[in-house]
Amino acid sequence: MSEWQPRILAILCNWCSYAGADLAGVSRIQYPPSIRVIRVPCSGRVDQLFILKSLQSGFDGVLVSGCHPGDCHYISGNYVARRKFALLKPLLEFIGIEPDRVQFSWISAGEGERFAEVITKITEDVRKLGPSKRLVKKT
Amino acid sequence: MAAVLPVGSDLSGAMNRFLKTILEKDIVDAVLMPMKVPSGDSFAWIIMSDSSIVDDAEAMAPVMPVQGARALRSLTRKGEGSIRVLALMRPCEIRAAIELSKLGQVKTENLILAAYDCPGAVPMDSFVSDPSSGEDLFRKMLAGEDVSAGEVKPSCTSCVEFSMTDADLHFGHFGLGGTEVLLIPGSPKGMEILEALELPADRETSIWDEAVRKRREKQVASRDAAFEETGENIRGVQGMLNVFADCISCRNCRAACPICYCRLCHFESETAKQDPNSRLDSAVTRGGISLPADRMLFHTGRMTHMSLSCVSCGQCSDACPADIPVAQVFSFVADRTQKAFEYSAGRNDGDPLPLRSFMKSELSGIHEMVSDAEPGGHAHE
Repeated sequence: MSEWQPRILAILCNWCSYAGADLAGVSRIQYPPSIRVIRVPCSGRVDQLFILKSLQSGFDGVLVSGCHPGDCHYISGNYVARRKFALLKPLLEFIGIEPDRVQFSWISAGEGERFAEVITKITEDVRKLGPSKRLVKKT
Repeated sequence: MAAVLPVGSDLSGAMNRFLKTILEKDIVDAVLMPMKVPSGDSFAWIIMSDSSIVDDAEAMAPVMPVQGARALRSLTRKGEGSIRVLALMRPCEIRAAIELSKLGQVKTENLILAAYDCPGAVPMDSFVSDPSSGEDLFRKMLAGEDVSAGEVKPSCTSCVEFSMTDADLHFGHFGLGGTEVLLIPGSPKGMEILEALELPADRETSIWDEAVRKRREKQVASRDAAFEETGENIRGVQGMLNVFADCISCRNCRAACPICYCRLCHFESETAKQDPNSRLDSAVTRGGISLPADRMLFHTGRMTHMSLSCVSCGQCSDACPADIPVAQVFSFVADRTQKAFEYSAGRNDGDPLPLRSFMKSELSGIHEMVSDAEPGGHAHE
């Protein structure tokens, strides 16, 4: 059996991070094939529940990425996302989910290089942690 | 400063008479307050415009059957009411009403929110099984006598917001020996009522202040002890699973919660339902899973949705048929989430909801979690 590969859900905002991923693609920058992308209109659209649910559904890690502060297409969506994330993070840690499994970053449409770096980093972080066993009771 | 209401023999009766008077003098058009149900084992919210009905009502009910904010919501969900209503409720109900007004679910324009010094409530199940002992117990609590913590609703034993909310009018009676009640106006609306009754707000409140302060000290200590215990019980994914292991997925906690107002809860929607095959796959890959699969997700998810507005009223625990300490867990979490944004649910009408406001430079640690990758140039300046 081949080596275990982490499965990471990347929730990307339409205006910056998704375009950043696109740029990484057209620039042919290499990064691990570990992510499954969901495009959302804005990182502010990301409900904390999306993250809990993706972990429960068996993803090993979750990355949420939006525009840099001040660059949000909808002016302030990413600030709200940051607040929501600040709330969820301690809860996840409290219930025993390793902090590195869920990450948050700002990636602009011009940062194809950075997109690849972020994906490489979260993939390695999650690989070190191994498959997600949490949120589901192991009998 | 406050106005004084003489009491006579019966505290609750004096408050009833006051409410009757403001109805008779047309200062308000209706009063919303609890009344004992015909069978005598519970109380219901009655909105009354006929002042003679007030005689049968109970200003301070021993139990909390339906959260008062839920009752208010049903009155103003389509905009401000057509008549002026005074709602007399517990402080936690007032705080929930204030949260709901921030969430656009209660319109306070034509409402006068009145609260009182709350001695706590009797748990619903023990009151229903023995109403007369329940009423005796509540009389003792009102008189400030010591009662054993196990007899009181658990969330009330660790409540620190039992007095003086952002209500328009507050009935203060702690420390006054049951001989008088202080009418403390909290807003111009409350002041108008006192003026209409020609009651001057000229009384010093220091005795009452001191009694409230003393009680708060005691309550803070018991809350801290309760938090410590709850924190230990729910620590780690196993702790949380153990606490919610008894959950029968009836969703009563959500139904009783004043803050959970969504018409279609995410957990009832089609998207929330798990794909059966993915469940079966998990059973194989993870060795075993419990069913229904989303109990833990429901509780943690509800927590992320409403903990910033949780007023720790304890209705969720009261409604739980499996005796899960839902309220203690939610209160513990809410305390921390609200502190993170220096927010206290329902305390002040003017404080914006934390997720409706933000500061440009805050929480810088969050986006620096991906620390190895340096941010590059912005796409647009």
